[in-house]
Amino acid sequence: MSRFDAAPSAVPAADLAPLAARLLPWVLLGLLAAFPLLAPVFGLEYWLGFVRRLLIVMIAAASLNFLLGYGGMAALGHAGVIGVGAYTVVALVDAGVGSAWLAWGAALAVSALAAAAIGALSLRTRGVYFLMITLAFAQMLYYLAVSLSTYGGDDGYGLYTPLALGAGVDTGDEAVFFWVVLAIAAAVFALFSRVAASRFGHALMGIRDNETRMSALGYPVFRLKLAAFAGAGALAGLAGALLASHNAFVSPSLMHWTESATLLVMVVLGGLGRRWGAPLGVAVWLVLAELLKLHTEYWHGPLGLLLIAVVFLAPRGLAGLLARRRRTA
Amino acid sequence: MSASLFRAEGLVKRFGGLLATDRVELTVEAGEIHALIGPNGAGKSTLVNLISGLLTPDAGRIVLDGRDLTALPAHRRVACGLSRCFQVTSVFGANTVFDNLLLAVQAHAGSSFRCFGRRSAETRLHERALALAHALGLAEVLHRVAAALPHGMQRRLDVALALAAEPRLLLLDEPMAGMGPEDSAQMVALIRGLRARCAILLIEHDMDAVFQLADRITVLASGRVLATGAVGYIRAHPEVQAVYLGSEAPA
Repeated sequence: MSRFDAAPSAVPAADLAPLAARLLPWVLLGLLAAFPLLAPVFGLEYWLGFVRRLLIVMIAAASLNFLLGYGGMAALGHAGVIGVGAYTVVALVDAGVGSAWLAWGAALAVSALAAAAIGALSLRTRGVYFLMITLAFAQMLYYLAVSLSTYGGDDGYGLYTPLALGAGVDTGDEAVFFWVVLAIAAAVFALFSRVAASRFGHALMGIRDNETRMSALGYPVFRLKLAAFAGAGALAGLAGALLASHNAFVSPSLMHWTESATLLVMVVLGGLGRRWGAPLGVAVWLVLAELLKLHTEYWHGPLGLLLIAVVFLAPRGLAGLLARRRRTA
Repeated sequence: MSASLFRAEGLVKRFGGLLATDRVELTVEAGEIHALIGPNGAGKSTLVNLISGLLTPDAGRIVLDGRDLTALPAHRRVACGLSRCFQVTSVFGANTVFDNLLLAVQAHAGSSFRCFGRRSAETRLHERALALAHALGLAEVLHRVAAALPHGMQRRLDVALALAAEPRLLLLDEPMAGMGPEDSAQMVALIRGLRARCAILLIEHDMDAVFQLADRITVLASGRVLATGAVGYIRAHPEVQAVYLGSEAPA
């Protein structure tokens, strides 16, 4: 919310804590940036790819958090739009495009358009109906992908040639691609933080809290929601495009509705409508899943328990839990 | 006739078999406080929703300042100068009073599609919100969370939000609902003070307040206008007394 009129300033003794909190993201960013250089030294090459995937999923989760946490739009079709981004890359590669920037940029644009079209219809409904209709659109996209035999249908499509990033480097270069993804993820995160503090962000949160009042205040509620839906869709599509390059493979399973649900779970775990909700939720969920997979085949169970615990003990998610701890400390 | 600031002409609204609004004619003059009264179920809230655009009429026209608003959605009507409050207090409870006011002011000062500049840096917006707070006696509770305010203050904030649009006509839907005598007296004073800013269509159950404030009164019963006229005329109207005043103990 507005920092202009912040509550009575904090206790002097706690002055260091906010400073640390402000530095933490930069320290994290620095560590992540150094990771490709450090990984070979410590024999962590495997984790380089893992963290890169983490960063890409964070983009998708941040987009969903923006839509649901800030905009109050409970969409269950995010994977559909992610898939639109991924298949845009497939289509362009299939047509002979070799530039990563061109392919990703196109994915951004195409998924924005797709989201705008889906939003134009589905945003006329509310609540459960909205959830169902976004799910229905995502399922339509899923089956569309299954039926596209040109792009492998059910079997998927392999992207065997890495996309060119310019200056003679391509996405096949593990470290460079990692840095590119990190830069994009950081930019997306900064963008969402910025938008949340803007007029648009405030209007969106107002709509989330009381839609009728917002239109009685004179806000063009539908158009504002549609803009948010298209914007969030664009970035979900970008995540899909990056995921396509990351996996060097795209298949319809990317768009399966369980992918939307998992994304939703991660955002709720991290903290809906919280600035750090999406990255926190994604990191905790995927790291735990990865670690549990090393020890047991039945890794879903403990994660389920964790989710139940968070929902009951920390309804504002992990980010909400941390924020409260800091305030009371 | 056409000099009226606001005119509702032949408004009709059906809900299934129920005729909630039956050919309602209503005018509000500039600078007037026009009260709309009627027993429960008379169709007052439906009428307010028709006028403010939350409901679409089945027939009839809504004209403000010579401009036909009938086809416009609620938010466009606000831009044309028609603003409303809600019977059930409708403020942003989790936010501070100041953030509430900022949100209301923002709707009428530049585009809300701007997504990059920080709103907290917009001093003009802050000044306008502050002016609104002073005008409505909310300056002292500026940084309190709205949901934590006493009922009377929340109602006041509700009015402030509607006023941010600088409306020509303000619809007040039972502003005294649920208020004690002290809060009611303050609200009466507040509404009287608003007369200089805009015309008011006041829907209210509190007869004391209505008789103190209104220039003219329209009585609604079963969706129809029973009578319209000055306070004295309405008080003396036999049908009105039978339908409404008799049952609710007039002042």
